[in-house]
Amino acid sequence: MPKRKMEKSKALTQLLYGQFFQQLPFNVAIIDRDYNIIEANDNFTRYFGDWHNRKCFSVYKKQDKPCSVCTQKEIFEDGRTRVVDTVVADKDSRWAHHVIQSAPLRLTPGGPVDYILEITSVVTDTNQWQQEYNVLFDRVPCYITVIDEEYRIVRANESFRERFGDVLGQYCYKVYKRRDKQCPRCPAARTFKDSKIHQSEQSGIGKDGKKIDYAVMTSPLVRGEERVAHVIEISTDVTQIKKLEKEVLEAERLAAVGQTVAGLAHSIKNILMGLEGGKYMISLGLKKDDRSMIDRGSDMLDRNFDKTTTLVKDFLSFSKGRLPQLKMTDPNALVEEIVDLYKDIAGVSNIELKARLKPKISPAPLDPDAIHTCLTNLVSNAIDACLMGQQKGSEVVISTRDEKGKLVFEVSDNGSGMDYEIKKKIFTTFFTTKGGGGTGLGLLTTRKLVQEHGGKIVVESQKGKGSRFRMEFPRKRLEMLYRESE
Amino acid sequence: MAKKVLIIEDEPDVMEYLNTVLENNGYRTYTSTDAENAFAMVKEIVPDLICLDIMMPRESGLSFYKRLKETKTLKNIPVVVVSGVIQQGEFDFRSFVPDETIAPPERYIEKPIVVDDFLDTVAELTASDRTG
Repeated sequence: MPKRKMEKSKALTQLLYGQFFQQLPFNVAIIDRDYNIIEANDNFTRYFGDWHNRKCFSVYKKQDKPCSVCTQKEIFEDGRTRVVDTVVADKDSRWAHHVIQSAPLRLTPGGPVDYILEITSVVTDTNQWQQEYNVLFDRVPCYITVIDEEYRIVRANESFRERFGDVLGQYCYKVYKRRDKQCPRCPAARTFKDSKIHQSEQSGIGKDGKKIDYAVMTSPLVRGEERVAHVIEISTDVTQIKKLEKEVLEAERLAAVGQTVAGLAHSIKNILMGLEGGKYMISLGLKKDDRSMIDRGSDMLDRNFDKTTTLVKDFLSFSKGRLPQLKMTDPNALVEEIVDLYKDIAGVSNIELKARLKPKISPAPLDPDAIHTCLTNLVSNAIDACLMGQQKGSEVVISTRDEKGKLVFEVSDNGSGMDYEIKKKIFTTFFTTKGGGGTGLGLLTTRKLVQEHGGKIVVESQKGKGSRFRMEFPRKRLEMLYRESE
Repeated sequence: MAKKVLIIEDEPDVMEYLNTVLENNGYRTYTSTDAENAFAMVKEIVPDLICLDIMMPRESGLSFYKRLKETKTLKNIPVVVVSGVIQQGEFDFRSFVPDETIAPPERYIEKPIVVDDFLDTVAELTASDRTG
């Protein structure tokens, strides 16, 4: 290249660089190893004022000594680019948020860092909002992911990453549940399909291998007018709540067992007393040569041996420590079975047995045999109560309904009813008002079976007016048990 | 004159047993299978001792006991509780009757009874020189 042409080209390059440096829409400065600003563009000068013969900390921070944490010092040491977010003051000492990007400059390639190029830009309102949004996105106590149509995670917040690991680009089902294909009942799939918000309760596995229960909500993310390209999944961790729920369930079951054992002891003591009594009377009768006393003693022995047999049988069936065998069951069909079974028995005593069923009630995961036993116990009690009440127009009504998320079975009668004293005791011990006719296990068994379904049994009764026994099963709990049993 | 003992017990066999034991040892016995009926009997007979069960249908033994102790003319009749809920002679009376003005029963006897101990207790509580 001729010398003149080369000089022209160099001049052009310098001009371009100079123009470029001056025209950049940021504040640009070059700093040497002693923190002196040796060059800056017009924007910088306009914003920070005269910088000649000043050090960076004096210009940015209006300080007379270096900052305690100095980015420049670090860059001179390790030669790596940095971006920091900090407050600096303009020439009139007005402080504002800035982002400072600092890059090392080397005069010889691979050599030491000679200067640092600093580009400072003020954080505008939009940037501020973006920042706030980012903090919110990352720190909100929910797991948030954005997934694409292939179910790949394209964004995940920090809460999520902490719990499930760094998983960008991976399939959500793989990450949430370690599955190889899409999950059944996937709410995101429904949102992709109908662009609506969907909710679901799910269980997944965290990066530590522990089970996580979460309630997930999926929302469509539509850009432009197109179909749903992304879905945002927001999940709340309900592991602790689920754990507590389970503990409550467990505690209720244990309490029932404790009361049962106490009740059993009481029942056995009464039988023992009867047996001792029989023995005493026989030996007294022999001593006194009193035939009738011997007979009475012998009868006592017979009766109490019989009671032992019945008690043991009842108790064995009661103590079957098994989980309910849940299957989807039509509640109304169960009730109709009981009505068929007891209609005639009730009819003989002029008691009308009726069913009042909610039409088209949704099926529920129940143990049909267990609920059959419960309804049998309640209905036979109701019939007994009507017999004791000896009213005309006696009736027993079994009804089904849904009430505040609970499946309800109710057995009501207009029989003898119970007073407060009896009501307090019916579930707590082997309590019977039927003299020798009952073991007092019917209602206990019923309560146990109901509790095993996560439900409870409630009684309302008025002496002389009748009783109403209600078995309530929260459908959510039933579903939880059902999922566990699957 | 024979001492009068009222037995309140809902289990017919238990009742017959206690009744036989007491009669055979020279006591005059009265029986009631429920607490409600028993209260009327107490007023009429004014027994020297009441043998009381706790767990009974309708009115419980404890509510009968409270009623008895709240009745001025009857509150000095000694009571021995004979029940299956008693364990090793102990019963947490105050958790059922927190009212401190009502004195606890004189004695608790656990079912099944030991006949001699039961008779000793009855004899002690019905002794003529017994004060209080």
